[in-house]
Amino acid sequence: MINLPVRAITARTVQRRRYHVRRAPLPPSAESARLLDSFAAHPPLPLTLSALVSFGNPLIPASVLRSVTYVLSEIPRRMARRVRALEGLPFIVGTNPYVARTLNGHRDSFNVLATYPEVRTLEDNKHFVDELDILVQRHRNDIPTMAKGFQECSRYMSPTQISNFLDGAIRSRISVRLIAEQHIALSHALAMDPGAAEAGVLVHNGVIDPKCSPAEMVRMCGAFVSELCEATLGASPNITIDGCPEATFAYVPVHLEYILTEMLKNAFRATVEHHHKLHGLASSHPLPPVQVTISPPTPPHPFLSVRIRDQGGGVSASNMARIFSYAFTTAGHADDQKEDGGPYAAQHIGGSAAIGSGSVGEGGNLFGEITEKGVQVGLGTIAGLGYGLPLSRLYAKYFGGSLDLFSLDGWGSDVFIKLRCLLDDAGNAEI
Amino acid sequence: MSWRFQNSWNASACARNLQRHSSSQVQPQSTALHFYQNRQLELYASKEANRLSLRQLVFFGRSMDEEKLIKSANYVRTELPVRIAHRLRDLQALPYVVVTQEGVAQVYELYWSAFEKFRRYPQVTTLEENQAFCGFLESILDEHAPVIPSLSLGLSLSSPHLPPDSLDAFMRRMLVSRISRRVLAEHHLALSKSLGTNSLSLPDDPHVGIIYTALNLRHSIDKCVALLRSRPHDIEDETGESVPNRGWPEVIVDGHIDIKFSYIREHLEYIIFELLKNAMTATGLNHRSSSSLPPIRATIVVGENDVGVRISDQGGGLSLGRIKSPSDLFSFSHIRNATRMDDTRLGALRSASSRGVKATVAEQIRPWRSEQSNVDSNNKDPEREAGIAPHPGIGLGLPMSNIFTTYFGGTLELVSLDGWGTDVYLRLPKLGTNLEGIEL
Repeated sequence: MINLPVRAITARTVQRRRYHVRRAPLPPSAESARLLDSFAAHPPLPLTLSALVSFGNPLIPASVLRSVTYVLSEIPRRMARRVRALEGLPFIVGTNPYVARTLNGHRDSFNVLATYPEVRTLEDNKHFVDELDILVQRHRNDIPTMAKGFQECSRYMSPTQISNFLDGAIRSRISVRLIAEQHIALSHALAMDPGAAEAGVLVHNGVIDPKCSPAEMVRMCGAFVSELCEATLGASPNITIDGCPEATFAYVPVHLEYILTEMLKNAFRATVEHHHKLHGLASSHPLPPVQVTISPPTPPHPFLSVRIRDQGGGVSASNMARIFSYAFTTAGHADDQKEDGGPYAAQHIGGSAAIGSGSVGEGGNLFGEITEKGVQVGLGTIAGLGYGLPLSRLYAKYFGGSLDLFSLDGWGSDVFIKLRCLLDDAGNAEI
Repeated sequence: MSWRFQNSWNASACARNLQRHSSSQVQPQSTALHFYQNRQLELYASKEANRLSLRQLVFFGRSMDEEKLIKSANYVRTELPVRIAHRLRDLQALPYVVVTQEGVAQVYELYWSAFEKFRRYPQVTTLEENQAFCGFLESILDEHAPVIPSLSLGLSLSSPHLPPDSLDAFMRRMLVSRISRRVLAEHHLALSKSLGTNSLSLPDDPHVGIIYTALNLRHSIDKCVALLRSRPHDIEDETGESVPNRGWPEVIVDGHIDIKFSYIREHLEYIIFELLKNAMTATGLNHRSSSSLPPIRATIVVGENDVGVRISDQGGGLSLGRIKSPSDLFSFSHIRNATRMDDTRLGALRSASSRGVKATVAEQIRPWRSEQSNVDSNNKDPEREAGIAPHPGIGLGLPMSNIFTTYFGGTLELVSLDGWGTDVYLRLPKLGTNLEGIEL
């Protein structure tokens, strides 16, 4: 240790302090804090599907403008609460760059929407929809970003705290996306057929597809997951669909897409890895298929069920308690030091660009198409971070459905997805 | 939709304004560095604080020589950053919105600066280096003078975000730790000063470092009474009106009046001073329309393990309208003690945080002295320059007294006879065997 007189030490410390970054970040301006307060003070109205559907039934200019008013009051209220929740996290968690990025992104979007000028005409609405679209895009990686942030902060918060926070954040996010996407979809539909709209004969369900086909979805998601699986693990099982493949129901396709993709990813990965464990890597043993069974709604229960059955070795009893918690994963290592996520190493934040270029129209670029549709979470960026199961369950439960997993330890797993039909026969929202 | 902007120009102007304030790329980067560098802090925070008792402090301080003094210096040098690190981790666990707020942010930065300075301070090996180290210690103590009011202000403003229990617990840990660091630092400074001189100088007031081994309670009370009674009369009632001057009430001391015990004199006198100050103010207010003021009675008691003082006044009791129970007066939360959010309180806190508060008697009487003597206008002592009236109080007297009292395991209780007066029971351990009440 070098002995330095105190004066020199102080001088050096002062010098260092000139370059020293301010550790406690500045608070937002008083103006924006006031704005936030005013919106956070009013709790958001509970999201009713019938409200969203009503804007498109019938789809006329007046109803679209009513939809704008709804969007401009409900979304900022929800975002204000999200900002508050983020601000309430422990300080050290708030300084994590990923969490900070999320907080700043939310603040910025809130400011844009909370101060948006009145939308009076369809022309105004067009600009508004463009703006809304930009915001939706900007937030598309929120969940992977937060996931990464919380992974790094695991020693500052208990798993329960993280869990509660994420549950609230994701549910709010689903709501916000629903409101935004509904308005965007309705606006586009109106713009496409102004004549029919003026006449008042147009009915559009926005983001709800009254004849969503689970079988079709399974095929589509299956193809995508198959490509992913081949690329990372070298093989992929087939999918068989039985039960009632022609069944259709009213649902929000992107939600179903997300759930199916995540569950198929789990099933495929388990199947291939288990098979490799049993028979070695270069075996000619056929991969057991993943069996999907679809069961249509039987009145009076307005629920459609999908069972995904695999022979992937199942989940051990000790892991069963933890599979629905965030950040539990058996993919790679959940060591916060290592960037390596095992076979899913290519899929980290912002790595969605690494898989599929995201441009629509490119033949067969399924991933690009999916991102164009504004899927809630960047598919292919989650694997390995352990959010697939808890997130899928949240989506399933959002409209009153459920998601359960049963395991035959050593053989395989069954995942039961139950989803509520959102519209009745008359086209009215059930909830 | 009354909050909708009707004028689109206004809205876009507001939006532009907000964009300027909204965080850009700069902020996330700077906090990232801080986040990832936290490991150093965690290293120190993982060590346990070494708790001491009064007896150990005294024992170590007797028969001081050069070698022991240097040992003491290095003990202080390595122990303080551990305690500071614990506090920093505590601050980091507070909600984000609380730490970024005025007052708390200032304290956070101060603590980091102190932590870094201590962490990097080289080992002390000679008396000369100890001199330099003492200078360093003094500068840090001065730098941290604004901590108490700053923190109190920041937390008062953050009350909506923190439940009262965690706020109080947090504030308590901060203040107790602060006292403990100052005790260590000032004890070492005092020991350094007395090395070479006869360490038990002033045979009628012997002390080891900052611990006075024959502290006469009666003398301390008398001293505080004299100081209080010599200050200018300046009582204001709830509406801000001045109460007519009828002097200060007498304080009658009875009980075991000749006992002596070992304690840190500054702590004892701060507590007595605060309690007597409150008693006198209450008495003056309660008897503003009568011709004479009833006396305050201070009764000294010595027991097996502790010494006690009971202070009884006829000040009308505690204003239990705004608080639920007397112990709420020890709370820093505005939910428990609504008076904390009074504008006069907050304003006083703000000016106090720019001046700094050390929580000593000397600090309180300095502004009065300056009014009496002709102050040299070139004197730059900020406390003198402020020359504020003895109150409106910043509201820290009782909470601080409570913390000083409980520091080595004492107790402070208040009981109100509404409409008549208040009794305060102060008990301090006299054996000096209790360990510091800091968290490990």
